[in-house]
Amino acid sequence: MKYILYQLKRSPLAILGIAILLFWIFLAIFGPSLTPFTHTEMDSLHQMAAPGVNNHVLGTDSLGRDLLTRIIVGSRSILTVALLTSIASTFFGIIVGFSAGYFGGAIDRAVLRMLDIMMAIPPLVLAMVVLGVLGGSSIMSLSLIVSIAFIPATARVSRGSLLTCKSSEYVDAARIRGESHLYIMFVEILPNTIGPIIVEATARFAYSIMMVASLGFLGVGLQPPTPDWGMMVIENRPIITDAPWAVFYPALAIASLVISISLFSDFVSKVLIHEQ
Amino acid sequence: MNSNILEIQDLNVNFSIFGGMISAVRNVDLTLAKNESIGVIGESGCGKSTLSYTIMKYIAPNGQISGSIKFKGEDLLQKSEYEMRKYRGDRIAMVYQNPYSSLNPSLTIGFQLDEVTLFHRGVSRKEARELSLQALRDLNLGDPEGLVRRYPHQISGGMQQRICIAMAILCQPDLMILDEPTTALDVTTEAVILDTISELREKFSMSLMYISHDTGVINKVSDRIVVMYSGEVVETGPKQQIFEHPNHPYTRALINCIPRKGMVKERYRLNTIPGYVKRRGASEGGCPFEQRCQKKTPGCVEAYGMREISPEHTAACDRAYATDVPDMMDKLIKSHPVKSMPDGDALLEVQDVHKIFGKKRKVYAVDGVSVSVKRRSVLGIVGESGCGKTTLGQTAAGLYTPTKGQILFDGTDISVSWKKRSPEMLKQIQLIFQNPGRSLNPSHSVEQIIGRPMKKLMEISSAQQRRDMIIDLLKKVDLSKEYLKKKPPQLSGGEQQRVAIARAFSISPNLLICDEPTSALDVSVQSSVLNLLGDLQEDTQAAYLFISHDLHVINYISDYIMVMYLGRICEYGKRDEVIRPPYHPYTKALLSSVPEIDPSLEVGNIRLGGQLPNPTKTIPGCPFAGRCYVQAGKICETTKPPRVNKSDSHFFYCHLDDGA
Repeated sequence: MKYILYQLKRSPLAILGIAILLFWIFLAIFGPSLTPFTHTEMDSLHQMAAPGVNNHVLGTDSLGRDLLTRIIVGSRSILTVALLTSIASTFFGIIVGFSAGYFGGAIDRAVLRMLDIMMAIPPLVLAMVVLGVLGGSSIMSLSLIVSIAFIPATARVSRGSLLTCKSSEYVDAARIRGESHLYIMFVEILPNTIGPIIVEATARFAYSIMMVASLGFLGVGLQPPTPDWGMMVIENRPIITDAPWAVFYPALAIASLVISISLFSDFVSKVLIHEQ
Repeated sequence: MNSNILEIQDLNVNFSIFGGMISAVRNVDLTLAKNESIGVIGESGCGKSTLSYTIMKYIAPNGQISGSIKFKGEDLLQKSEYEMRKYRGDRIAMVYQNPYSSLNPSLTIGFQLDEVTLFHRGVSRKEARELSLQALRDLNLGDPEGLVRRYPHQISGGMQQRICIAMAILCQPDLMILDEPTTALDVTTEAVILDTISELREKFSMSLMYISHDTGVINKVSDRIVVMYSGEVVETGPKQQIFEHPNHPYTRALINCIPRKGMVKERYRLNTIPGYVKRRGASEGGCPFEQRCQKKTPGCVEAYGMREISPEHTAACDRAYATDVPDMMDKLIKSHPVKSMPDGDALLEVQDVHKIFGKKRKVYAVDGVSVSVKRRSVLGIVGESGCGKTTLGQTAAGLYTPTKGQILFDGTDISVSWKKRSPEMLKQIQLIFQNPGRSLNPSHSVEQIIGRPMKKLMEISSAQQRRDMIIDLLKKVDLSKEYLKKKPPQLSGGEQQRVAIARAFSISPNLLICDEPTSALDVSVQSSVLNLLGDLQEDTQAAYLFISHDLHVINYISDYIMVMYLGRICEYGKRDEVIRPPYHPYTKALLSSVPEIDPSLEVGNIRLGGQLPNPTKTIPGCPFAGRCYVQAGKICETTKPPRVNKSDSHFFYCHLDDGA
């Protein structure tokens, strides 16, 4: 703990990242009650209003909806999907990667080839096709699809860090006292590989925000009226010359969240690598 | 103008790390004359390597240096980084511990050698190659033309280290710093390299600074000895005086830690230095050795300071033989020999065991070994790396299954892997690994580590009962119950190995396989671990299969010794039979390679050239024939040597009836 604070003091970028991240989490939880508007409310007198006009802090879009409110409400869904996705993809990644790496041989080769096939399809395309077939997506289906698309990456990281620990002598020691495979995998090896896996999970958090925003941009993200940052960017693109803020602020929201998480992830890896 | 190559005055090196400033080197004064060779000894963490890197002015950016390092009259600490390049590798050369990480694996040896003269001498490529070949010839390496075309991974570790030495002498430096150059190598290779270094020193009249934790090696290569403790020089003087009459208690304790020729467990305990080298903050002063010193009295810390013992000999303390404190060393001699040679029936029987790795390209790791470990006895297995001793141990422990042959434990066939062994059998055989840092799970607490085998194999389900037993065990291995909650990374190497030993004994095994349990440890810790293993063996009457490359250690702990070479037995017998003539030529070569610390002892002069033959080929004759110095003739190459029985318990495999 002391060490974390020590490192934190020496990395201003990490402080910045954590501050932005906390800011977004705070907004997602308390934000909706702080704005006088709802995300579907149309202020017909103030369409494409500039920031500041009639209490619209960030202005309005072409239908006169308050941009700040829509961004705040949109942060809820995007953070939920990202959190679910990073947890689920890490969880499945550990199971797939550990069983491949631990048993090795034919199982390893089969799993690796399968992951290769999955990786050959760009995750965005995969998600688009599946979501397109399903026709519309909820938070759950979106999280599920994105986590499946991320499994190859998390599985490879889990497998790699398992392999570095697998040949350790404490694993041999566990074997010759007759421990089961599950015990060796999850009690002996997992705690020692958790560092890189957590780092990967935080990185996946950032990627999934990008992915959800991209899917929204391509029109297969969350369905209206749920505000979606990527969708907001594409919706307001036609009015970019008249009301640039309607595109700029959602884009800024995406960028700031992704960058803050990346900075946070770098910091996590710095601290965890020291611990090992 | 004096003749000193190196004059270090009042050198301090501090590092700023998390938690404040720590002092790595402090108040070091040192001079090195032309052609002189000094040896720097001390445990790990005493600042030996930092000192050598500081001379090269090559330390991490968080380090601060003060004082002066005069090299041929010029202060290196005043030089800019650009000017230092002219010294590094040219006037001052360095050889590091791990040759395989100091050579670039993707460049040929010739290229890496040429670079030195291309940079420092500005010669043409052709001249550079000529100089490189000359350097290889100076080291008496066969076929230099072939060697320069190869890559580092294609040659053995000993050869790689000789390439590093060749690289160091290319510019004929005035000073060569060797940082534990032979620690990672086998004794036989070490002996050859030490000879080479001495020859080169005469040839090029270089000054040497040799850093090692091994007093035997230092004794062999240096004229003067510098003893470092916790960043300070605590004693310095001529070799003879330091070894025969050390003044600092640390020097005396350190020298006595090493099991010497003829020390056996029945008669002696090894000296130990309790505790370990603590890192010191930059502001802490006083006697660094105070906490571990057995000779301290009230007031001795105030008297601490460098003093001259004789013109050449200075020490920070002269209480090594102080009589006002009872001398612990006297207690080390056991007054009554503990027991006679155990001569029971066999507990573990290895019958013609073969272990072949790989399917297409076969590696014959163990090639037909039959041996038995008798009840309550210690069988020591010794040999160079690659001789199959570890594979044999791990096969007995169940990590591998033998390709051919049988292993019987107490009459039960256990030539199956751990998966098929009964819990009772798993409980009977325990394994202690070489590197305790890797054999203890870094994420588990000491209590979990020791408690798990009890829960699993003895089915003690009450946590409280287990905890009481663990505390008892910790007491036996000299650890207090505060250690229960600690995790391995918080422990020192010696403490880790004690925990590993406690884990092995937690389920009272009958056979303990110790795979080089002390070779990753400092000498002071090695001696305490050996004492502990000896005591526990007396108490529990367990049998040991003790694997080591160190003949002194094997000689100290074993009742029976087996010498292995290339997966086969060379010689087997009771301890005293093996280490005295007649012996197998290989045993004799091993014995004469071990560096001795007693300057008065006669040193053997058999040097093994070459390296282990390729283990992927079957050898029709004697495996040792290629390196043997007393051959019986053609027969050695063509026919397997017969077993020569010297007594009921002693035999070796050689065509010569009397061996060497």
